[in-house]
Amino acid sequence: MRPLSGSLLLTFRELWAMRITQGMFAIASLAWLLLSFALNMDIVEGSISALKIFGFDAGAPMERVFDEATGEWVQQATSIDQFVVGINQFVFGASYFLGTLLGLFATMPLIAGFLEQGRIDLLLSKPVSRLRLLFGHLLGVWLTVLVLSCYLVGGVWLSLSLKTGVWLPHVLQSIPVIVLMFAVMYSVVLTTSIISRTSGLGLVLAYGLIFFSAILSAHDQLIPVLAPTSAAIFKGFYHALPNFIEVVMMQAQLVEGSDVTRIYPFISSLIFGVIIHGLGIYWFAKRDF
Amino acid sequence: MPDQVISTENLSKTYVSGLRRKRVHALQGVDISVERGEIVGILGPNGAGKTTFLKILLGIVSPTGGSAMLMGCPAGSPESRKSLGYLPENHRFPTYLTARQTLDVYGRLSDLPSTQREERIPMLLKQAGLAGWEDSRVGTFSKGMMQRLGLAQALMNDPEIIVLDEPTDGVDPVGRREIRDRLGELRRQGKTILINSHLLSEIELICDRVIILNHGRIVRAGTVDELVTQGLGWRLQLKGVVPDDVSERFTCHTEEDASGPVLVLDTGDVIDLNALIDHLRSSNVSILGIERNRRSLEAGFIEIIESGEVQA
Repeated sequence: MRPLSGSLLLTFRELWAMRITQGMFAIASLAWLLLSFALNMDIVEGSISALKIFGFDAGAPMERVFDEATGEWVQQATSIDQFVVGINQFVFGASYFLGTLLGLFATMPLIAGFLEQGRIDLLLSKPVSRLRLLFGHLLGVWLTVLVLSCYLVGGVWLSLSLKTGVWLPHVLQSIPVIVLMFAVMYSVVLTTSIISRTSGLGLVLAYGLIFFSAILSAHDQLIPVLAPTSAAIFKGFYHALPNFIEVVMMQAQLVEGSDVTRIYPFISSLIFGVIIHGLGIYWFAKRDF
Repeated sequence: MPDQVISTENLSKTYVSGLRRKRVHALQGVDISVERGEIVGILGPNGAGKTTFLKILLGIVSPTGGSAMLMGCPAGSPESRKSLGYLPENHRFPTYLTARQTLDVYGRLSDLPSTQREERIPMLLKQAGLAGWEDSRVGTFSKGMMQRLGLAQALMNDPEIIVLDEPTDGVDPVGRREIRDRLGELRRQGKTILINSHLLSEIELICDRVIILNHGRIVRAGTVDELVTQGLGWRLQLKGVVPDDVSERFTCHTEEDASGPVLVLDTGDVIDLNALIDHLRSSNVSILGIERNRRSLEAGFIEIIESGEVQA
């Protein structure tokens, strides 16, 4: 356990020493402090009648609902439950996208430093297996992302729940999805860095895959209009590559508390992550440094 | 514990790189044996295979042929690394860590319990001349201080074998002497030390034995004394007149220094030396002193490399 704790400690300290990690904690703190102290609302019969931000009237949030009695769409004050879900969806969405993009950017120098000549050879000379050494690094990165996600999302959820009295614990199911999808994308940075010894390439590839997943998410519309060969290739990409964008829909359903209708993009992304991590671990165990 | 702490047999390493699968033979059939308590210098020009050799011992690079054993365990196994301390060339410690934290992290990685870490960290920092700098960030350290911290790190687990790659690189003369003294102390404790350095004057002062590599092969191995005297003759400090026939009977010449005539025997053969002594004594020439003709290790090294010789 001691060598693993050493590897973990090194990763935590390195991540904390990076300004970007401290910045992410600062932004998270700001987000839930704002929600705690700057946001005030009046709730009448389960709906928001008035909303104030920093003491300024922001008007009551309204929503369009279909009135079955009149058969028309009407505007009415947003229910407090809907408001809490909306805020949480915004925060979760932002954490998912920005958190992953910034997280990958922040951890790029970490893997570069880890594999740097003069550092990696010193680490490899210690009586610890390569597998354990890399696992310590990965665990450190994953745990940091988990802590950051819990701090931001959990903090926002807690302050909103305390403020509104609306407790929606199912919202927190989204945290492991954020961490796991980050791990999937980090596997690309890690493995590419190990194979090529250049971390920048891994970051470009990971960002490229996120961008490409936006195209893959339109598979229902694109496949029918593609030629059979192109459609088959597109399908191959859809099943083989991470579906980062499509997982957002699952996230939204989790936050809403509704049933998840499509879990396949998440599962196929996880399988991709496991395979790429496996490849990275295999390469790390075999290669010369 | 075995007396032979490091042994390699027919150790080879070929790097294959690029799309054309270019092959570079970094090591070719290297056989080395190092006894406990020896300080051995690994010398060679750039690209000779020194670093590859050390990295194979440490498990950082895998050999393509042959075998290497450390303390009876296959080199590269976590078991073999338990008895190993390593100071890499151009080591990079995380700059945000303090000296104490650095040793603590690497101590953990060496599986040292906290009681041992607490006991060894202040002691090693003191021995490294870094007392008072325990809580300073490594990023503020000079090159020499980093090197001394690196040496302290290599000694964290009280290793039996210490591998040092350019240990005095960037260290001032006083610091170099301190490192030499420290290595001498470690030798007295029975530690085995392998040093790779370009500072041949340092190697000459520190090492018992040197191994010279070139193009991945051992071109010479022996004690420092053997290398600096090999192929050279003897200097005889004399009193009296040197007989005329000496230069006819022996391959020698005469020099004059402040204390009188010096007869230089150009061959290192002891039989020739004894014959010369007998001849001088029979000619009533007094011999005030005899010493081996020496060259610097650097001169010997360059001569060996330039001759392109390979040890049989």
